[in-house]
Formats: sequence, C-alpha cells, structure tokens
Amino acid sequence: MIGTVARKEIISNLVSYKFFIVILLTSVLIFTSFFIMHRDYKQRLSDYHIIKPKPNEPIAVIPPNPLSMFANGLEDAMTRSFEVSLIGIETRAGQASGNIIFSFFTSPDFLYIVRVVLSLVALLFGFDQISREKEQGTLRLMLANSIPRSKMLAGKWIGNFLSLSIPFLLVTLLGFALLNLDSDIYFSPGNLVRFVIMLAVTLIYIALFLSLGIFISTLTKKAAASIVILLFIWALFVFVIPNLGTLLARQMVDVPSVRALSEKKEQIWTREVLLRIMDGREGKETGVSRFQAIHNEMDKLEEDYRNKFNRLIGLSKNINRISPVASFIYAVTDIAGTGIGEEGHFKTEIIRYKNRAFLDIVSDKTEYSPFNYQYRSLSQILAKGTMFDIAWLVFFNIFFFALSYFSFVKYDVR
Amino acid sequence: MLSTIIKKELLSNIFSFRFLVTFVLLLVIVTITVFILTDNYVKKLDEYSQRQREIENYLGDYAHFNRINNVVRPSQPPVPFYSLIRGLSSDSNIEKFDNDPLPVIFPLIDFTFIVTILLSLVALLFSYDSICGEKEDGTLKLMLSNRLSRSKIILGKIIGGTLTLLIPFLLSLIIGLLVILLNPRVLWKGADWGAFGLILLGSILYFTFFYCLGIFISSRHHSSSSSIMTSLFVWVFFILIIPNLSPYIASFLAQTPSRIKIDREVAMITDVERDELGRKLSGERRIEMYRNYPVLAEKLSQAEIKRRVAQDPDYRKAYKELRDAIGQAWDEANRIQGGKVDVLEKELHRKQEAQERLAIWISMISPLSDFTYLATDLSSTGIRSRSHFGRIAEGWWRAFGAYTMKKLASLREENPTADWWNTPVDVSDMPRFQYQQEALKDRFGGTIRFFVVLIIFNLIFFTAAYFSFIRYDVR
Repeated sequence: MIGTVARKEIISNLVSYKFFIVILLTSVLIFTSFFIMHRDYKQRLSDYHIIKPKPNEPIAVIPPNPLSMFANGLEDAMTRSFEVSLIGIETRAGQASGNIIFSFFTSPDFLYIVRVVLSLVALLFGFDQISREKEQGTLRLMLANSIPRSKMLAGKWIGNFLSLSIPFLLVTLLGFALLNLDSDIYFSPGNLVRFVIMLAVTLIYIALFLSLGIFISTLTKKAAASIVILLFIWALFVFVIPNLGTLLARQMVDVPSVRALSEKKEQIWTREVLLRIMDGREGKETGVSRFQAIHNEMDKLEEDYRNKFNRLIGLSKNINRISPVASFIYAVTDIAGTGIGEEGHFKTEIIRYKNRAFLDIVSDKTEYSPFNYQYRSLSQILAKGTMFDIAWLVFFNIFFFALSYFSFVKYDVR
Repeated sequence: MLSTIIKKELLSNIFSFRFLVTFVLLLVIVTITVFILTDNYVKKLDEYSQRQREIENYLGDYAHFNRINNVVRPSQPPVPFYSLIRGLSSDSNIEKFDNDPLPVIFPLIDFTFIVTILLSLVALLFSYDSICGEKEDGTLKLMLSNRLSRSKIILGKIIGGTLTLLIPFLLSLIIGLLVILLNPRVLWKGADWGAFGLILLGSILYFTFFYCLGIFISSRHHSSSSSIMTSLFVWVFFILIIPNLSPYIASFLAQTPSRIKIDREVAMITDVERDELGRKLSGERRIEMYRNYPVLAEKLSQAEIKRRVAQDPDYRKAYKELRDAIGQAWDEANRIQGGKVDVLEKELHRKQEAQERLAIWISMISPLSDFTYLATDLSSTGIRSRSHFGRIAEGWWRAFGAYTMKKLASLREENPTADWWNTPVDVSDMPRFQYQQEALKDRFGGTIRFFVVLIIFNLIFFTAAYFSFIRYDVR
C-alpha cells in the first residue's frame, strides 16, 4: 500500500512544473559549483607547487585538500605558509586574502549549495503535501479507501524523498565522475569513503527538511500559509540561529581578540630584546637561553589563548546546534578535513613542529626536519563530536516525522 | 480610484496571516540582533581602550626605536555603526597565526543581512500571487469589469504592497534604534544619522525592486503555485549564487601572482639581502674613513673609545663622522632594497586591485551586492573605509617617521658612542594616531553608482511588470 502511494507521488512529481524547476536549479548549481571549485582547486594546487618548501627550509605548508572542492570550510587558513624562525611563526596567507570580495560572500561549494538551496528545495517538496491535497479535495477521496493515515504519510514521505534524492544523487555523482576525468585530481580511497559519508549526511539533511515541510503542511489548512511559515523557519535555521549563536557565545566567553594577542606578543618580544641589550651584549649561550625564555612566555600566552578559544568553540557549537543546519556544517566540514576540529588539530601540530624546528635552529643545524601532516582519521573525527552531529540530524528527522504523524492523524480532511 | 486600490491592498495585506508572521519575525530578529550587536560593540570599545592602555604602558617603560614600529602600529577603533552594520569588521585576521575561524564558517548577522535576505524574501512572498492569485480567486475579472484602467490597478498594487511591507520593517527598525539610543555608550552623531537615512533609502529601493520583480513574475504566470516556484528560483540566483560566484570568476579572469611567493621574496630582500648589502656598503665607507682619519683605524675597547670621545674633541669629530657615514651606508642599503620591494609590491597590488574591481563589477548584477556595498560603505565598515583607514595610517606613519628621525638625531647629538636604536627614550611627545571617519559627502559620492544600479533595476522591472499586466489574460 505504501508502495502505491509512493509511486503515485513520484509520478505526479515527475510531470509537475515544480519538479522541472527544481531539477534545473539543482543541476545548474551543482555543475557550476563543481566547475568553479575545481578551477579554484587547480589554481591553488599550482600555487602550492610554487611555494612548496625546499628540504632545508623550516617551513610548514600542506597541499590543498581535494575534498575542499566540496566543503571549503577553513581550507584557506590551513593552506597558509607557516615559517619558523627565532622570532616564532611567521604566517603568510594565500590568494583569497588579496581580494576583499571573498570575505563578503561565502564560497559557493557543494556544502553551501546543499545547506542553502537543497534545504529550500526539500521544503518546496514538502510544504503542500497535505494542505494542497485537501484544497484539491483528493485527500478525502484517498482516505475514503481503506488506507491507514500512517501508511499514507509514509508513502508520501518515501515518494517525495526518492523523487528528490535520486536526481540529486545522479547529478552529484555525474559531476564527481567528471571531476575524476582530470588527471591532476586524485581522490585517495580514504577520501572516497569520506565523500560517500558526506553524501549520506547530505541525504539525511535533505530528508530532515522534507519531514519539516510535511509537518508544517499538516498544521495548516492552506498551502500558501505553510510556505510562509516554512520560509521563515528556513531562514531562522539556515542563517539566523547559527550566526547569532556564535556572536552570543562570544559575549559569554571572554576571549581576547586576535589583534590583542598579537600586540601583546609583539610587546614581549621588543621588551626582551631591549632588556637583553641593556644587560650588555651577551655570548651565544646566554643569547639562546634568552630566546628560550621569550619562547616560553609566548607559548604560555598562546596556550592560554587556545584554551579560552576552545571553550568559546565548545560553547558556540552547543548553542548553534539548536539549528540542525549547524550540525550539518560541523559534520560535513569535519569529515572533509576542513572543519573547526581539524583546524585546531592542525594548529597544535604546527606548534609542535615549531618547537622542534626552534631547537634545530638554536643548535645551528642546517637541515630541518620536514613538516608532515596527517589528517585526523575518520574514527577520530566521528568520536570528536561528528557522530553526535549525525545522530542529532537523524533525531531531528524522526522528531519532525513523528510530529507530522501525530498532527496528520488528527487532521481534518474535509 | 487609485487610492481605493491602494487602500484595498493595504487592508487585505494587513489582515493576512503572512503579514502577522512577517511582523512578529522581523520584530524579534531585529531586536535580538541589534541587542547582541550593541552589546558586542561595547565590549569591542572596552577591549580597544584596554589595548591602547597596554601600548601606552609599554611605551612608558620600554620605548626604544628598534622595532617600535611593530608596537605602535595603528588600529581602527570600533565605529558606532557597529551596533547595526558589521561589514568587514568581523575580520578573521588570516595573516596572523591565531586567525579566528568562526567568522569564516558563520558570518555575522546584521542589518544588511536582515534587509538583503529576509526583506527580499518577504517582498516576494507578498507579491508572488498578487496578480495570478487574484485571477485564481476570480476577483481580477470582477475588478476589471468596472471602469478601471489596468495601469491604475498595477500602480495601486505596487504602491499599496510596498507601503504595507514598510510598516513592519520600519516599526522593527524603530525598536532596534531605541535599543541603540538607550545605550549610553553608543553615540551616534549627525553624520551617522545622515548615513543611516541614506542606507534606509537604499533598503527601500532594494525592497521595491523585489516587489516589482514578484509582481512581474506573478503576471507571467497563471497559477500562484508555479509563480512561487519561479520567484524562489530567481531569488536563489540573485541572492545566493551570483554574489558568491563573483570573486571566483574574477580570480579566473584576472589572475594574480602567488602572494606567498612574493611575500617571501619581500622578506628576503628586506632582511638577509639588506643586511648583506648594508655590511658591504658600510665596510667600504669604513675603509674610506680610516684613510681620512688614521686615528680611527686603531683597535680600541668600547670603554677606551668612550673615554677618548669625552676627552679628545678631534677624536670625537672623527668618530662622529665615521658613525654618520656608516648610518648613511645603511640608509642607502635600505633605500635600494626598499626600491626593489616597492616594484614587487606595486605590481602585486595593481593586479589585486584589478581583480577586486572586476569582482565588484560582476557582483553588481545582483542587487544584494549593490545593497551590501552601499550599506557597508556608507556606514564606514566596508571596502572604502578600509582604504580610508589605510590613507590615515599612511599619513600617521609619515609623521611618526619624521618624529623618529628627529629623536634619533637628538640622541646622536647627546652621545655619539651610544647604540641609539636600542637606547630607552621618552616618547610621550610622539604623534598619536587619530581615527576620523570619512566625510559623509565622500562616502555618499562613492556609493552613487550602487544607488543608480538599484534605481535602474527598479525601473526595468517596474516597466516589465506594467507591460506584462497590460497584456495579461484575466479570464
């Protein structure tokens, strides 16, 4: 019985204007996004080959991450060049920092398209499921047969989910296959697994908005009313809650700004240089111990900042998770290796490398150990909150579906 | 007759469900946003003055000219408009090791966001069915069976619709302004209010554009369910896609050389290469001086030199000339290397600016970017204010450079044997950095093109809506 309802949904979707528009939109956007991000990735790759450190340079640069084509996240911050010297770490940022317009608008990657546009599309599939059929009078007719309401709802959900997700998956996989035609692009098996998981999370995310759409549809008698409510909930979930939540967390945790921290470091450095000179010019031995002392003071400052900042990130994560969209962003960027968790891990590794290279420099070695970065493994990522984010998305799915069931059972179909 | 239509539109909108939802939502979001932004602005103010105090304390205790430039580097104070518009202020400081990742993933929400995303959505939600919806209800036929011209209907619809929607927008904005005004720490001056008025004008233009667009789409469709699909489709392209693609497209069309590579070259030129050149030049000068003043060639300890300088006026003169010559040699080295850096950086800068300009022109196809640039530039939080700050800072650096030279000269007079760069000095009389917002007139002048584009968009879609409706089949 569920199959019949689902089939009916799919067929009626296939011939609708809505379906036409949605498929057009999705394919155009996904192909455009893949094309743009692919070219951008290639440019960054060729830049990387120019700036790649030679074996005897104490410089840490990692190659661009191919998964950043789908979720750019903090890739720009992670692919900077970190140069270690006696003074500490000198950071140089890449191309995107030279064009201010990049910081006005989010990058149009796959994550963005799904997060903003696909969620809207899923709502458009769900918003008139019940109320439209009531307006047309077909709901009464359907329920005049011996079909329980729960089965009808399940059939509608499945039918719509399939007619939304199958074209989406086809388009995405086609785009992905086209990317693989380029011999410069190489996805390791690990990255392929990550991509598949990202797709699975994406499907959960789309299903969530479909369930939400159906739920609101069972609450209203008119399709026009449900689209208004849904668009506002969408704006709240996608834009307002995550972005205001971050600012709210910032008000609650006292973290010095980046400027304040770097000014303080600069002051320590110049002060120590002056004091060292006023003590009389010392021999090499005491000079080294002085540098060591400066480093220790800086490291303490740095550690203090990092601790506070991690508290801020933890709090903002928990506030933002009120909106499932934030969970989706956290999950996908972390799986892609461009998320906040990965970036924190990366910085810890850079600091560790700096400490090692610093010792090399003060002991007058001419060869420095190279910087090798290992992205966190999938199991580590899942254990560090991503599992929770995925479970949270699933929970929202079940929650909205259960709500729509309860309100549909009590729905007045006349 | 026109007024009847307007009145009818007003009333039917005000009593609709979507009006209620819009009203509540705007009220809540605007109030919360302004409240949090204002709070955050006050926090930023405190932090700014705290940072300035720390710099002053440092200068009081340890001021010396070696590396002082890194400590006194001017920074932009928060502007009062931060409690409404953030623009580029949520800087992630990507050039610092401890850059802030949060604003990259979750951009801030401010008044610009409320106008560009929410208000445009609201405009389309109110206009998508204003023609085809009435056709479906059958009221369009009835209306036109009276002696009423179509142009009056469409005019009345647009005027009535925009008027109704301005009510919730303006009311929620007034509440937001109250939050700002009631906070004693936020001081808006005359120019701020002027800028605010212009931004408000821009947001109304932006809004009427979307209303006309909605009516245009509505009069191209015969059912409201397909009209909303098309509207959202167009909205997604204008709002969510074009602006975000523009910097990428510009970066493909106008490429720039690798920044990191040039950065490293610059560091090399000003550091290692400069030292080599300086040592070479000063060595040459030293030999020359030894020929002119054989007394200098004698190898003496630091203490002995100090004693001689104090006692022997001839030696003092010779010694001073030697140090002046060496100083000149280093200045020369700095000048030569600085010239090289200038060439590299100017070239990079020129290419980057070309890319940025191209990105702006491409993104101007979308009214969202037009409004964003307009609002951020007028509120001193945008691209213009960055370069304005750069100009002020440049002027200050020049003044500070002259001050440094003067101070160093007096140190040299006092004691020719000292290491002047590393001598503690009293810098309480140094020029202080004063930030002044750009004059409103100039800010407005820079944003005229965005206003013009918005007005042109308005005219195009108004005409399109008008002609589509004139030829609309109302049956």
